[in-house]
Amino acid sequence: MLGYEFMQRAFWAGGLIGIIGPLLGVYLMLRRQVLMADTLSHVSLAGVALGSVLQWNPAISGFAVAVAGGLVIEQLRRSYRTYSELPVAIIMTSGLALAVVLMSLKQNLTKSFSSYLFGSIVAVSDTQLKLIAIVAAAGLVYFIVLRRPLYNLTFDEETASIGGVHTGLLSFSFAVLTGMTVAAAMPVVGVLLVSALIVLPASIALRIASGFTAAILISVGVGLTGVFSGLTASYYINTPPGGTIALILLVFLLSAIAVQRLITLKNRRNIHKSTTI
Amino acid sequence: MILSSMQDVVFGYGNEPVIDRLSLDIEAGQFIGITGPNGAAKTTLLKLMLGLLKPWSGTVSLNKELTGGGGLVIGYVPQQVASFNAGFPSKVIELVRSGCYSRLGLFRRFTKEQEALVESSLRQVDMWEYRNRRIGELSGGQKQRICIARALAQQPQVLVLDEPATGMDTASRSGFYKLMRHYVSQHGRTVIMVTHGLEETRSYLDTVISLERQEQEGWTCLVTNSCSVHFGQEA
Repeated sequence: MLGYEFMQRAFWAGGLIGIIGPLLGVYLMLRRQVLMADTLSHVSLAGVALGSVLQWNPAISGFAVAVAGGLVIEQLRRSYRTYSELPVAIIMTSGLALAVVLMSLKQNLTKSFSSYLFGSIVAVSDTQLKLIAIVAAAGLVYFIVLRRPLYNLTFDEETASIGGVHTGLLSFSFAVLTGMTVAAAMPVVGVLLVSALIVLPASIALRIASGFTAAILISVGVGLTGVFSGLTASYYINTPPGGTIALILLVFLLSAIAVQRLITLKNRRNIHKSTTI
Repeated sequence: MILSSMQDVVFGYGNEPVIDRLSLDIEAGQFIGITGPNGAAKTTLLKLMLGLLKPWSGTVSLNKELTGGGGLVIGYVPQQVASFNAGFPSKVIELVRSGCYSRLGLFRRFTKEQEALVESSLRQVDMWEYRNRRIGELSGGQKQRICIARALAQQPQVLVLDEPATGMDTASRSGFYKLMRHYVSQHGRTVIMVTHGLEETRSYLDTVISLERQEQEGWTCLVTNSCSVHFGQEA
């Protein structure tokens, strides 16, 4: 399987997104912005459509619009502090509406849109791979260098601000990174599966991790395992790679919930036994 | 020495001011209690002092001599701490260690002294034995105590606590007030605490700021009975 160049590229691209997506997902979930990735992928789609209509490079316009969308969400979040989910809903609706209207302006867009909707990880181009590598490297540096202020920001923005964290700057840079990651991942795994790679590994990690560092390591571990096993399975059983990866991650999540329940039940029985003896 | 000075501060929510032309000086090196009925703008006053809220008009300033020209290290424990994200995947010790991050910056490693400080902060609030527990597994009072330990680990010059004894039992509250008194008397730090239990805390406090709301010519005003803190505005 790895003898084929397209599969090598798919593993590289998937591996890079499998690291940065789940890492970002932990922070997004804890900041109650879990739908931000989904929203930005729709916004990015509107950017792709805009690029096509204006005859710009759709990849670049999609990337730029996703980053701008992240910044607008962050700005709106500051205006609607009590309803932090509201900006995400506003931008998602606007992005989707804009994409649909722009698509209608150019009839031949529908076909190329399907590749953005579902992705094509086994058809990753050199340029796409480079872009993903740059975004993943920037993301890793960002999360390693700023791990301490990000922890404080994620735990509580107010105390972080008083403790000297530049919360505004950090939140805006986080929004930019989210936009960049979504825009880079979208052509590879598709609009519909960007969220899966960001949300599902983090959901598993937050259920079972004993600490913050453990949550991040588990999330990345699950993400990579899901991507690599999904790609392998899709190669041998001839299924769409993106969907296979998402389904495998879903199986991981359901298994984690089941195992956790069994452990809880076993512990309760042990306690019951020890109290009745 | 004056730590914080508010001059003619006006602030409100919507169109109505809840703090109207308030002038207030806070002395450094004291244990200060802020008390008053619900809605008396106690938390608002704290947030204005901390710069979390910007006044509609007037000024809030910190003493530059005291800060040495740099930033004042302030430890803050907010009111809603017991309801913080129960799913936050952090061990107690991880959270308390994060109190040292502002002094450590981005890359400096924890020294033995800082590890000892984290341990003593947790011991001071009787939470050392819970250090490896997930914070989501703790009770409201225990969460409150680890957030106080986190603030103490910051080694703040000023500790600002918004109803810190919420959820604590009587023995824990008494121990906590003694700890704050010791912190002020022995280390020369300033503690500003919003409290409802004035009868329980009065003996530990140097200064009491009592907030009352009075309708006066259509405006709401604040009054203090403290001897060392004054209002520029007559009630």
